[in-house]
Amino acid sequence: MRRTALVIAGALLLTACGGGGGSTADSGKVVFWDTSGPNEHPVFDQLAKDCASKGGYTVDVQQVSFDQALANYKTAAQGGQGPDVLRSEVAWVAQLAQNGLITDLTDTDLAKDTSDFLDGPLGSTKYNGKTYAVPQVTDTLALLYNKKLLADAGVQPPASWDELKADAPKLGGPKAIFLNNDAYYALPFIYGAGGDLLDVPNKKIVVNSAQNVQALETAKGLLDAKAATTALDQANSYNNMKAAFSAGQVAMEIDGPWTVVDLLKGDAFKDPANLGVALLPGKGSGPVGGHDYVVRQGTKAKASSLKFIQCMSSTESQVTVSKKLGLLPTRKSAYDSPDVKSQPTVAAFEPAIKQTHPRPWVPAGAQLFDQLKIDYAYVLSGQKDARTALDEVAKAYKDQVVPDYTVG
Amino acid sequence: MRRSLERHWYAYAMVAPVVLVLAVLVLYPLVQGIWFTLTDINESTIANPVLDRPASYSFVGLRNYLNVLSGDASFGSFWSTLLRTIIWTASCVVLTYGVGLGLALLLNRPMRARALYRVLLILPWAVPVFISAFAWKFMFNSQFGVINQLLGAVGLGQPVWLGQTDLALVAVVIVNVWVGVPFMMLALLGGLQSIPADLYEAAEVDGATPWQRFRDITLPGLRSVSSTVVLLGIIWTFNMFPVIYLVTGPAANPNTRILVTYAFERFFSGASRDYAVASTYGVLILSVLLVFAAFYRRALRRQEAFA
Repeated sequence: MRRTALVIAGALLLTACGGGGGSTADSGKVVFWDTSGPNEHPVFDQLAKDCASKGGYTVDVQQVSFDQALANYKTAAQGGQGPDVLRSEVAWVAQLAQNGLITDLTDTDLAKDTSDFLDGPLGSTKYNGKTYAVPQVTDTLALLYNKKLLADAGVQPPASWDELKADAPKLGGPKAIFLNNDAYYALPFIYGAGGDLLDVPNKKIVVNSAQNVQALETAKGLLDAKAATTALDQANSYNNMKAAFSAGQVAMEIDGPWTVVDLLKGDAFKDPANLGVALLPGKGSGPVGGHDYVVRQGTKAKASSLKFIQCMSSTESQVTVSKKLGLLPTRKSAYDSPDVKSQPTVAAFEPAIKQTHPRPWVPAGAQLFDQLKIDYAYVLSGQKDARTALDEVAKAYKDQVVPDYTVG
Repeated sequence: MRRSLERHWYAYAMVAPVVLVLAVLVLYPLVQGIWFTLTDINESTIANPVLDRPASYSFVGLRNYLNVLSGDASFGSFWSTLLRTIIWTASCVVLTYGVGLGLALLLNRPMRARALYRVLLILPWAVPVFISAFAWKFMFNSQFGVINQLLGAVGLGQPVWLGQTDLALVAVVIVNVWVGVPFMMLALLGGLQSIPADLYEAAEVDGATPWQRFRDITLPGLRSVSSTVVLLGIIWTFNMFPVIYLVTGPAANPNTRILVTYAFERFFSGASRDYAVASTYGVLILSVLLVFAAFYRRALRRQEAFA
């Protein structure tokens, strides 16, 4: 309590010292918070430095853990501190815009010609008709598989969850696929069953719909039928999934393009050609993901920050990132580059990116996962049935996240 | 009053800076925090001078307290979380005190390489908590952790330590005991060394058994140290945030949720940065500890009167 209040008092004191935003003067020094992983970071770091030396400003790239970045940014920005440019997850933008923590870019050059960007990621940059962000990379979930293990078993990547169930015995039962018990990884089941979390136009909470109950039962059914395995310890589940898959202990996992660089370091993928990427068993059930660049409200280097984003999101920069890391560009023109076309990860994910499932770009979008994560894990561990768990999630949404929606 | 001011102005002048600092650092935030519990303040309604945004939260009376005290799951299931906090505190303090006392007794005898043992046993204290917590998190990993590999090697089951089950609470208690034992051991060792040796000699001459000597000399001799370290231990453990957050986090695990970690969830990482509910939890935690401290002091005073 005391500490809580102290934090607020401290933040207020800091803001008092910080003074007004100073919109005209430009310090020429851009602080960029990069939330990418340890294998991706060096590439972005180098790119940022090249942009800075070309553009005549300095840049300080700071690596911030993705898990902590949103909370850290909010705390810092609320007190007038923090980076000038943040790599924001697509679902954070609306929330940051609503709270006035990022700059409206509508009247800047960055918002002028956006026709080159893909529609999915571009949607995430808008809030209330204004532009607040520029797309950096896009992604979605796909079925990653170990080609050798599938070939040895004589099976194809499954086109449906039932097919996976039927093929599993040949792949060693539970070793067929590793399911991460995190909320984001429940989305393919939910979207695949025709469900969703919120019905935004009608202001309805639909997370406990019959489709979603069926979706979670499908996931749990794979575990019960010994066609899948999961790590029930929440804190380690994602890392355990990657470790098991890259060591060749499981044949398949559901994951996105960001993980490919890490996976290729594992024993199973010493030959990169062994890593296969297929569409998810539920067609068009991969959520739109990715990251955007946003500028902090109150930055002292707005002009430089705009130049920095312009450079970082240019077709040329996107091609570099794509070529080196296999991340998916957000510009249509980047896909025409021969370097991008010949990049195996991009080529493999391109079909998946063309049929993603949209996510609601509302301030609550990023907050939907906290409770879903807890209850999805309860369903997979068998401690709660899908109906009870999803009713709890719906109640939490109503009480904490979107009080003005109705449960329906 | 006036005469006292004339006579003691110097003393008042001397304490004034301290009073001022306390007022700014403790009193003002405390009052502000209590005020927040009566409002619907959150990240979108709080004032922001930097961004020229005025405050837009409003007074809601006791709504936050009613919501929290109803024990509703959307507001952290207050009563079951309180119960879990008490279980967590009691088991951590009892175990750290017991293990600490045992080690202190072992180390309080003449033996070879005593200094080495002492240094080794104090080591967990010297390691920053976050490093210990991450090390334990790796060791508790259900598939690749060393603990489950050892259990598997001797043919025992391989439980999921950090899943959403009560086993996760056991796991964090183990970590907290490991982190907390050195302090207890050191404090109790100091207490043991202040007990006069001639008491033991006299008891031995009178034919007292080791158990009698422990019960009638050691424990009474340690009373003042024990009461202090137990009180400190209870207050620290009740509000012990880093161990739970780092071992089972960053996403919340409802089975290791205690009052402070829930307040943090609502304040920082929760669905809507609900400062009002977080502050309400803060006030309730403070109240629980105040009531406890009052009872504890009274119990101690009574004990001393009888002793």
